[in-house]
Amino acid sequence: MNNKIKKIDKFKKIATYAILIFFALINIYPIFWMVMNSFKTENQISINSFSLPESFMLSNYTKAWNAVSLGRSFMNSFIVAGISVLITVAIGSLAAYFISRFEFPGKKLIYSFFIFGLLVPIHGTLVPIFILMRNIGLVNTRVSLILPYVAFNLPLTIFILSSFMKSLPKAVEEAAIVDGAGYLRIFWSIILPMSRPALATVGILNFVYNWNEFSFALVLINDNKLMTLPLSLSLFSGQFSTDYGMQMAGLSMALVPIIAIYLLMEDQLVKGMSAGAVKG
Amino acid sequence: MEHIYKHKKKIIYLGILPAFLLYLGFVIIPIFISARYSLVEWNGFSPPSFVGLENYAEMFGNNIFWRSLKNNMVVVLASVLGQVPIGFLLALLVNQKIKGRHFFRTIIFMPVVISAVIISLVWSMVYNYNFGLLNNILSFVGLESWVQNWLSNPDIAMFSVAAVIIWQFVGLYFIIFLAALQTVPDEILEAAKIDGAQGWKRTLYITIPLVKDSILAAIVLCISGSLKTFALIYVMTNGGPSHATEVMAIHMYDNTFNGMKFGYGSAVSIFIVVFGIVLVTIVRKLFAKFEN
Repeated sequence: MNNKIKKIDKFKKIATYAILIFFALINIYPIFWMVMNSFKTENQISINSFSLPESFMLSNYTKAWNAVSLGRSFMNSFIVAGISVLITVAIGSLAAYFISRFEFPGKKLIYSFFIFGLLVPIHGTLVPIFILMRNIGLVNTRVSLILPYVAFNLPLTIFILSSFMKSLPKAVEEAAIVDGAGYLRIFWSIILPMSRPALATVGILNFVYNWNEFSFALVLINDNKLMTLPLSLSLFSGQFSTDYGMQMAGLSMALVPIIAIYLLMEDQLVKGMSAGAVKG
Repeated sequence: MEHIYKHKKKIIYLGILPAFLLYLGFVIIPIFISARYSLVEWNGFSPPSFVGLENYAEMFGNNIFWRSLKNNMVVVLASVLGQVPIGFLLALLVNQKIKGRHFFRTIIFMPVVISAVIISLVWSMVYNYNFGLLNNILSFVGLESWVQNWLSNPDIAMFSVAAVIIWQFVGLYFIIFLAALQTVPDEILEAAKIDGAQGWKRTLYITIPLVKDSILAAIVLCISGSLKTFALIYVMTNGGPSHATEVMAIHMYDNTFNGMKFGYGSAVSIFIVVFGIVLVTIVRKLFAKFEN
């Protein structure tokens, strides 16, 4: 009897690992396969796309870097995503501070109003935002991306920050108020430093969302000089769609920063994305 | 305390104002403007003319629109029937005392953070007829008869695309379920064990009811996420071949920005918003009924 249970346990363990390794391979192997082929010539790829590369040929990499101006796209994405995150966190944390730490008329309503934004699909706003940007002459500027990015990131930012700030003990600012410190001073020198973990979460989360964003960029930017990374990469599916070695090299380079950010900030990203997902 | 706060309400509202205005201006008001645009005929340049509900009538009479709605429902079903069970299974497996838990968690979640554009280009090559990974593997294991043009065969292109959507987002559902499973106290499962509930029965009768809120949240997320599908399909097939993979967001984009039918496109985008809300409400109601 005891032996039988042991056998079942052993079988369960093997099955567990078999399934997990299977899914891990499905996630990793396509990317590994692409990186391997990025070092090969077109001919080598079509003869045998399974084999390891004979040498680390870099000509695909230089070609891809120049063809869609990857350096410039990295820079554009970094600027747009970075500035958007700074603004979102600045105005979002201020709003979250007042919503979470004070009582005032309309507080609940304002909070639900912000949270409602988690449900709004981007495509419901695309046309009016395009028309607005065109009318005020902002199409093909970085500002045209930063404004909607900030606006669409605010609901999740306020949700995460205000639930964190709510959990801080009231006593911390009572002492400061007795000392005569004003609201903004308390916000700046007490609440913000204490909220560092939550600020890191929303900062990295918004950065990744903006870094990956495609729809607004597609509609609002068509000047090559301002294209963000996803937009530049999408050119691979059009004009360069047959040079696969080059395409694989370009995609491999594009993966480096996002994978690095993920491995470094995994906990914040995982926590933030699942929090937003469940609430939405 | 309270009296100190009271006469400083102005500062409170001023502090919320910047976030409020940006959010109002770029998220909320545009939806109302979309609704207004949906009632006009407009090429984006010459003055718009009011046509009432004609755009909606045109939309409901358009076969391609119905096709895009059907394709969206394929994505919804693939997500609900693919991502939710696979994510749940993987969460159950990782939520055991096993070696490499963290490693598996990292790998399973990874595709969620990669941009849809990169993923669709990688998978376009995986699906490539000549050198693609999938056809290569099929010939390697002796299934040559399955080898085919995954993205240009209109009968299966939609399923090929849906498989990639499942692939990208399984990790998100996995994490949601893993977090929920970690809140299930060990004592309950131990008690169930002593009562004789084993293996699948324990999962079915004890674990699942305890995490049913996350399951509902996951299904709601599947629906709203699926209706947003755009970049992945835009890059991988652009809705083709001959509208076989066109979803509503692509239909909307194509009509607005290529067909210069801003009114019609807005009608489609309003439909996407309303349809999402209706679908989510129905699922919530069903769940509530199921509970009683």
